[in-house]
Amino acid sequence: MTEIMMNSLNILAVGILLASLMAMTTPRMGQLIRIFTLQSLMLACMAALVGYHTGSEHLYIIASIIVLLKVFIIPRFLNYSIERIKVKRELEPLLGIPGSLLLSAAIVVLAYFVTEPVISLTEVITRNCLAISLAVTLIGLLLMITRRKAMTEVIGLLMMENGLFLAVISTSHGMPLIVEMGIFFDVLVAVIIMGMFAFRINETFETSDTSILKRLRY
Amino acid sequence: MMVSLLLCTPLVFALFCASAPSNRWVGRLSLLGLGLVLIQVLDLSYGVIQNGPLDAGMWYIDDISVIFLLLMAVISFLVGIYALSYIGHELHEGVLTPRDSRFYHVFIQLFLFTMLLVLVVDSLGLMWIAIESTTLASAFLVGFYKKEESVEAAWKYIMICSVGIALALMGVTLMYASSLDVFGDSSRALDWSVLKGVAATLDPTLLKLSFIFIIAGYGTKAGLAPMHTWLPDAHSQAPSPVSAMMSALLLNCAMYGIIRFHVIIEAAVPCFSSSLLLGFGLVSVAVAALFISITTDLKRMLAYSSIEHMGIVAIAMGIGGTWGTVGAVIHIAAHSLTKSMLFLSAGDIVQKYGTRDIASITGVLKSIPWSGRFFTAGCLGIVGLPPFPIFLGEAIIVYAALQSGDFLVAALFLVLLLMVFVAFTYRFVPMLGGDSGLEPSPSPLSRLLPMGILLIMGLALGLVLPGPVLEFLQDVAAQIGGVL
Amino acid sequence: MDYSLFIITTLQFLALLVSAPAAVGLIRLLKARAQGRRGASLLQPYRDLRKLWRKDEQVSEDASWLFRVAPLISAASVILTASMLPVLHVTVLGPGSDMILAIYILMLARAILVLSSLEGGSVFGGMGGSRDSMISVLIEPALLLSIFSLAALAGSTELSSTAQFISQGGYLIIGPTLILAAASFCITTLAENARLPFDNPATHLELTMVHEAMVLEYSGRSLALMEYSSWLKLTVFITILVNGFLPWGISSTLDPLSLALAFVAFMFKLILALGLIALLESQMAKMRLFRLPNLLTTSFTLALLALMAFYIL
Repeated sequence: MTEIMMNSLNILAVGILLASLMAMTTPRMGQLIRIFTLQSLMLACMAALVGYHTGSEHLYIIASIIVLLKVFIIPRFLNYSIERIKVKRELEPLLGIPGSLLLSAAIVVLAYFVTEPVISLTEVITRNCLAISLAVTLIGLLLMITRRKAMTEVIGLLMMENGLFLAVISTSHGMPLIVEMGIFFDVLVAVIIMGMFAFRINETFETSDTSILKRLRY
Repeated sequence: MMVSLLLCTPLVFALFCASAPSNRWVGRLSLLGLGLVLIQVLDLSYGVIQNGPLDAGMWYIDDISVIFLLLMAVISFLVGIYALSYIGHELHEGVLTPRDSRFYHVFIQLFLFTMLLVLVVDSLGLMWIAIESTTLASAFLVGFYKKEESVEAAWKYIMICSVGIALALMGVTLMYASSLDVFGDSSRALDWSVLKGVAATLDPTLLKLSFIFIIAGYGTKAGLAPMHTWLPDAHSQAPSPVSAMMSALLLNCAMYGIIRFHVIIEAAVPCFSSSLLLGFGLVSVAVAALFISITTDLKRMLAYSSIEHMGIVAIAMGIGGTWGTVGAVIHIAAHSLTKSMLFLSAGDIVQKYGTRDIASITGVLKSIPWSGRFFTAGCLGIVGLPPFPIFLGEAIIVYAALQSGDFLVAALFLVLLLMVFVAFTYRFVPMLGGDSGLEPSPSPLSRLLPMGILLIMGLALGLVLPGPVLEFLQDVAAQIGGVL
Repeated sequence: MDYSLFIITTLQFLALLVSAPAAVGLIRLLKARAQGRRGASLLQPYRDLRKLWRKDEQVSEDASWLFRVAPLISAASVILTASMLPVLHVTVLGPGSDMILAIYILMLARAILVLSSLEGGSVFGGMGGSRDSMISVLIEPALLLSIFSLAALAGSTELSSTAQFISQGGYLIIGPTLILAAASFCITTLAENARLPFDNPATHLELTMVHEAMVLEYSGRSLALMEYSSWLKLTVFITILVNGFLPWGISSTLDPLSLALAFVAFMFKLILALGLIALLESQMAKMRLFRLPNLLTTSFTLALLALMAFYIL
């Protein structure tokens, strides 16, 4: 792998991680969706670059599907949803923004620590990308846990999926095409169903703040 | 070819139900679909049992799949018979609209399709897609009644299970990455039948990481603690036939996924996955015991009991060896049969009394005599009394634990089982006797017949255990544990 | 003794000192133009300094010797730091160009300023001092981590070696470490120099002052020194940013052509940086005081990631 290729893949991977951290800092919905779109775009670029490096065309197909789905269709659907639910701003997160940021930094350290003993991935770029993908996944999970609005939870889930795709692209240069297609389809349907349920929550409870979902206790 | 036909059946019937001109026939159409599925599954299973695993392109059906498939087809057919009457009653009461009932049947067919898909595919990637689809297909079934609690339950269900499944995808990716060294970039590298053969040559670190994600992910779907929090809500808020199907079949699918991974990883890295399974299993049983004592909702109590039994299956798989896996398989079958019967009779009780609150339900045996008797049988069975099959499963598991020298595990297991026994009995016995003040009304035959058949099958498993069945179960156990 | 080197380094030091007011004048001019006004001329800050220098000083009765001495210490430390920076050539006039030393000398200036803010006995001073302390506590780890990342990348904490290393490193040096550290340092520059969104340098409202509150009590020559030292501090930080993190163009030889090129590159980067600050200030409003930790923690996380990226990648 050429030096430039390695460098640009590194930069893109760190960019994806940065997008996750930026998502942690912003309480505004519109900005969150834009950050997600940016992250997906960087992911698609990475897929295309890896496809160029390994010469496998199906990564190009995957890159274009990522662009179509996660840069156009899903953000449009999310924007439509937040307009219908009329939620513009997130409430104060559980930890506060500095706390969430520090926890995310700790997660990144943890991710590198956990993937340290994976020695069979001989290319250094792959180990780094695996660690970053784990970090992005866990930060997406943190986003879901600490935020209270329903749509933010959906966006957190989508960021987790981004992290997973990074893992797929970097460790295995893309899984068999039919599996990838199935995963994309699943993600799309999942987002639509979650959007519908977010509407229902808003209709039933007059708010999309999920911390009021406390009726079912023990 | 036959498998594709099997999978197309529910899809086609979903289409029929969605486009049927009149609402009255939708239920019977759906039941016809379920019957056709049953016939095809019986046929396929017979073929696989006689001739060995069916390995054709995308599909792979071996003895492990067969037992899950049989349970699925039989139970969904019986639940379908029950659902006709149940949904009919809800329609009659005005709780549901005819359009709602049509939705119900369409989604049941889709749900069945996704669960069947889980059990017949070869590729672990496709299996992941199928398990994710089961969440999506059942989401609307969980939030079927448009009450506040149902919406909450459905939201928690979708969110928690999607997170879990996303983690499981990480596990599948890592498994794929570990097999790449052996195969290069091949599209067969995710096929279970192929992976089983080369299990010993895969990279151990990646496999260990992969299994951690798999058990966290599929364990969420299977209801292992501490990822179980969606289960009581979803299983209690869904309509009773749906609860029965989810508890008896969906949890099985998730456990099936875990078992497939466990087989491969146990071959490469012995004792790692077993210890994880043991740990999660024991925690699940403990958590279930705790919550059964304090919950006040009948269906939630049954849901916690499902968590307990999935924990027991995990413990059995963790103990391993021949007897451990035989115990696990018997327990899976026993739990499916008993739990579905329980949910069906509980559904009848809830419809009659109009509430799920345990304290306000008394005199069950008087007001709905037959359902009440089935309910009693189910409760006695689920806590592990002989002659019911769960007792047999638990006994074999204890025997396996003692045989492999895990005395601590056996002791813990027995103590936890005792705790659950006490808690559960203390809650359900007051429901039986006494007087409710409600008019006794006979339940329609269409409700009692499925419960009766399930009871008979359960007793057959527990009491008699016909020879060929035992042989078959040992075959299955050998296939699971055979890589050891 | 190499006289030409000596001349060059003295010239670059003096140029830095002389151009500091012009830098602030440029920012104000660009902001005014962006707001549709004509704005004061570029040389207005010089005229302000001259005016202040000639004025009489009023010193509060409660003030101690610290009040008189603080402007001198402040100005002296910033001037010392300015002498430690490579502008055109990688060598410097001052005692080495160790970045950690430079940062802590600037911290000395800041500490003296905070202490002197209490001298006047007025409420504004104490309030400004406490707010400034809060911000500086959060700035310090971020600042140091980004400097450490740079030092790790170049192998030394001397700014001259860093400038030389990176400018000769080719474009492969542009990796996550450099980008993240530079981004973190940009945020820290804004924070340290009391620019928006951390502090509004043009306000005297109690609700929004931080730095202005601390120098509120000064007048005459002391005020001139305080103002000058804050302008010079801004120029120093921008110089560290462009010549430490993005030093392409800096010359390591005494060749007149490369020095001219270095001059052009430096002016270009400086004016670009000042223009960006002006643009940013016209677009942003000052953030609420309790939201500032969010931004500063972001800067800290970026710097932490930069350091990690260096060791992992």
